[in-house]
Amino acid sequence: MSELGAKPRSRKLGRRCTSSTQESLVLVEGIYVKTVSPGVVESFLKKEEDFLKKLSLISSTVLNVLLQADESDTAGKDHLKSIIVINERFHALFDLTAGCYKTLTELHEESSVDVYDLYIVKKERNFIQAYTQYFLGVTNHIATKGFDRVSRAASNHWKSNKRGLKTLIAETLDISFTVFLQRVFTEPFRSHVQTYSLLLSQLSEKSGEDAKRTSSIDLSHAYHNLSKYIGQVLDEASQTKQLWATLSHKLTAALYTLERRLQEDSKNVPIVTTSGKQDRILLFDDVLVFIQGHETHICDLKTLWVDSSTKPTYKQSNQVLRIVTPEAEFLLSCKEPQNQALWQWKLNQLIRQRVNGSRDFPLWGKTGEANEPPTSRVSSYTYKNDSRYKNATYHGDMSWGKPHGKGTLTWPDGRNYVGDFQYGQENGFGVCLVPSSLEDRYDCYKCHWVNGAMLGYGICEFADESVYKGYFKDNMRHGYGVLENLASGSNPFKYTGNWYKDKMSGYGVWDSSHKGERYIGMWRNNQRQGHGIVLTHMGACYQGTFSLNKLVGPGILISEDGSVYEGEFTEECLLAGKGKLTFNNGFTLVGTFNRNQTTSGLQAQGVLNTSCEDLTESMKRKFQFGEGVLPIEERWHDIFEHFQKFLESGCRKETEESFLGFHVKSNKKLEQAQEYLYCQRESDDVSGKIEDILKEMSLHLEQESMQCYLEKAFKSSHHPLMKLMKELCVAYQATYSGIGSNLHLLSMAQEEIKHYATKIWEFYSALKVMASGENKKVVPAGGVEEISEEVNPYTVVLPPLLPYFHEDLSMLYMLYHQQEDKHYWQGIVRLGTLTDTKLLEFLDVQRQLWPLKDIKLTANQRYSIVRHKCFHSATECLQKITTVMDPRQKLEIILKTYAEIEKTVLRVVDKDYKLPMDDLLPLLIYVVSRAGIQRLGAEIHFIYDLMDPSIRGGIYDFLLTALESCYEHIQREEIRLYK
Amino acid sequence: MAIRELKVCLLGDTGVGKSSIVCRFVQDHFDHNISPTIGASFMTKTVPCGNELHKFLIWDTAGQERFHSLAPMYYRGSAAAVIVYDITKQDSFVTLKKWVKELKEHGPDNIVMAIAGNKCDLADIREVTFKEAKEYADSIGAIAVETSAKNSINIEEVFQGISRKIPPLDPYENGEIGAMKLGRPSLQSTNRCC
Repeated sequence: MSELGAKPRSRKLGRRCTSSTQESLVLVEGIYVKTVSPGVVESFLKKEEDFLKKLSLISSTVLNVLLQADESDTAGKDHLKSIIVINERFHALFDLTAGCYKTLTELHEESSVDVYDLYIVKKERNFIQAYTQYFLGVTNHIATKGFDRVSRAASNHWKSNKRGLKTLIAETLDISFTVFLQRVFTEPFRSHVQTYSLLLSQLSEKSGEDAKRTSSIDLSHAYHNLSKYIGQVLDEASQTKQLWATLSHKLTAALYTLERRLQEDSKNVPIVTTSGKQDRILLFDDVLVFIQGHETHICDLKTLWVDSSTKPTYKQSNQVLRIVTPEAEFLLSCKEPQNQALWQWKLNQLIRQRVNGSRDFPLWGKTGEANEPPTSRVSSYTYKNDSRYKNATYHGDMSWGKPHGKGTLTWPDGRNYVGDFQYGQENGFGVCLVPSSLEDRYDCYKCHWVNGAMLGYGICEFADESVYKGYFKDNMRHGYGVLENLASGSNPFKYTGNWYKDKMSGYGVWDSSHKGERYIGMWRNNQRQGHGIVLTHMGACYQGTFSLNKLVGPGILISEDGSVYEGEFTEECLLAGKGKLTFNNGFTLVGTFNRNQTTSGLQAQGVLNTSCEDLTESMKRKFQFGEGVLPIEERWHDIFEHFQKFLESGCRKETEESFLGFHVKSNKKLEQAQEYLYCQRESDDVSGKIEDILKEMSLHLEQESMQCYLEKAFKSSHHPLMKLMKELCVAYQATYSGIGSNLHLLSMAQEEIKHYATKIWEFYSALKVMASGENKKVVPAGGVEEISEEVNPYTVVLPPLLPYFHEDLSMLYMLYHQQEDKHYWQGIVRLGTLTDTKLLEFLDVQRQLWPLKDIKLTANQRYSIVRHKCFHSATECLQKITTVMDPRQKLEIILKTYAEIEKTVLRVVDKDYKLPMDDLLPLLIYVVSRAGIQRLGAEIHFIYDLMDPSIRGGIYDFLLTALESCYEHIQREEIRLYK
Repeated sequence: MAIRELKVCLLGDTGVGKSSIVCRFVQDHFDHNISPTIGASFMTKTVPCGNELHKFLIWDTAGQERFHSLAPMYYRGSAAAVIVYDITKQDSFVTLKKWVKELKEHGPDNIVMAIAGNKCDLADIREVTFKEAKEYADSIGAIAVETSAKNSINIEEVFQGISRKIPPLDPYENGEIGAMKLGRPSLQSTNRCC
């Protein structure tokens, strides 16, 4: 006790010295310190002394007896426990009161006493808390009929001590021990709180100053509320006690908890459900209970919503209350409108208090703002009957009985869903874990959901370590997607392509790193079905028709040495039936092939032709797969389809991810990791809004600025076209890189790139239409686009697109032209040994065109020995052709090269001279041979394939053809082997 | 008026005056659009024909014997070919026949052929008679004209003859879609032999 006395003094000093604001208050107003007269302090001291005496009497004569009770049965033990709790809280109060008394005795000696030094003011919170805790303990005991029991158990003791106890409460005549005990534990405390309240209100009146009044009133207010609270909890407790006494055992067992208190009863304030079946409705502080015959519905107030706006469905004149819980709805109505208002008010108050997790203080005092319970709240609920959610537990945002917002749904089998909900269903982004047959393993879906089912883009990491990245529909893989299994144990594979109802169906590429094989072609039901191409790591490859995973019917096989078989196949790669075999030396064998069963070698009957005269046969080595059997429109159809749907949906940002794939930050290093981890996404870090993107788009009208815009768009992580590009790159690489670097795929590859450009052009145009706002409807895809001279897929889209595919594509061109480029290079090397004049002579260039004037000879030089001096500007110009990627730019360089030749010629002839092809071609061959561009054949073919078809026949086409003819000419034996 | 682009390929021995004929044809008339040219090797000229405009894209070829094998690159996709010989040189007429044969075998289907006997101003030293040329032309369904680039005789007639022999556009496609596109010569697929 001694420290209780010491502390207030030091605190008082501390407060006065440190708090400068209060100090200034004293100076300015001069009335701050409110003194309490010694007389008041003395009477207060007296009251505290009396109360302390009373408390010690209760402690010694009542509490100690109760604590000594010897309880054997469980109910008795529970009661004893609650007595122990009461005892603890009683002593906390005791100590606090003793502290108050102690400080008062000290203050008593001082001449003036600051009201704020009063212990009950200074420690107001402690007092309030100690009293509420104490009464919680006491009311629990009351509600559970604890006092009834102890009064019976120790009735003899009470009788013998009646006199001593009489001093504790005023009237003790004719009351039972139960009531007596209850009063002992409540009345002295209640009245003492009232003493505090009265004292403080008197003090504030005495001081009189307006400024102080408010604070004083505040002080007495807390004790005033406390006294109100005590009355309320005691009422609740006795009502609840009565309820437990009247309810059947079964119901009591179902409903009884220590702290549960009855708040309203349909017996007191009548209310019925409109179905009329429930015969009783009980409202507790945490649940609403419907009792109907033998059935009891208990609804947690946390997951209960009250809607008073519902109109009655039939002729009832009164309004009804709609009670919404996760799995049931009730309509309540009262005959008396005021009763209904009471129920509604009480329900809402209790729901709010239940949701907040604490009761109001005092319980029913508050009115005014924020008194309605929040519609959206975080709560938990376990489903009992719902068909989909049965036994699942939901925790998260709820609104009107339904998961709405962010939440978690957990099934007993370990399945769970974490993510967005809307109106009771998974909707938005969510992560779903589904336990697999493998122990401790889960399939993890990170996906977009609509109305409870996966729809749109998602990633699934399956329990077997395979990963699917792609589109879903109705909880199944559907549309475009990539399934990859890199697990070391099983067959590692990767499938890139179309899915239909969870099965590989449509166009797709299957890569088996284990077998070193790639299949490019059509699928159905997870099997190869239809046209397809197989590439092997050995270099052999074939194209044919598959049925149920097996190669059947006619096909073409090209072996690694260039031999070609055209004919019938059975099984994988087995020559069977009529066919034609063309050896790489040009010999052909036409006949019937079959497999020799005994030696497992190949048997053939037919005609061998060794004439090798048919030139087209040698071209078989360059046979192009896919032509006519894998139409371009069928390849990656769904990638474009998803984008098209995104356009049709109006390009809204919130749906972008679901249509186009997850948004990833542009940081390259993080990209991989984030596609997996980027589940907690915030919308505000996505700065690029679709509207801004569109707005900018409409500003670009010229070919060059459109090209620049697309270049940026492909790089911007916020642009929808960038995501499309990313998908296309993945699809393209899956087909054409690695063992897909096969010259027989060149035609398919370049066709595909042109198709990408055309589709992107279509989408770009559609986006532009949206941007202009003239027409919100998207131009349907596939319509005949008017390809204008200036702006078309080749001039606008292809230049920024090519860099993404150039590496793999140019590799195909190189492979295709390997042989020719080798011959060409021999020619270049050969011609390189000639001096300028020798070369001009060799090429039959007219002497009048020889640019010898240009050459500045040094003292020891003659014309006949100089090299690389003639047409130097043209040569240098042509060499730049490999420095650019855009076919159009390459063509410009060829045109400039011609201009340089012409300039030189005009200077030499010194008159207007129009070069006819007879003169131009030798000059061009001269320049080409001097420029020495590596792999010119691949270069020319690349330009030819990818240049704007609208300029075919024109000046660029002419020059390209001229260049090509030079290339052809240099390959000639007469040049290569020139002696 | 719809513009139709027609690729025309010039074939013939060196020295017979292939490019002179084209230069004359292109220069004689005022052309609204000054199109870029590659010397005398590539030139364009637009002439009206019926209710169409024919834009001739004229591709010269090297006449030297050793470049003959390169010719297919030039005449692929041509709508017409003008094969020129020198009426004063029998040899050039022999070469012409070779070209005709090659075009028949390897040239584009339905290619319109015109035989131009140049240097008709030098008729006194003629080695090839017009009758001979005409009969040959008729036998292969070609146009036969004797020209003089020097005196500008019959130059236009060669191209007018070609224009007349170009089949008109399909009636229903005409006007429906841009003529630019249709006018383009049909070109081979990308899978070429290089």
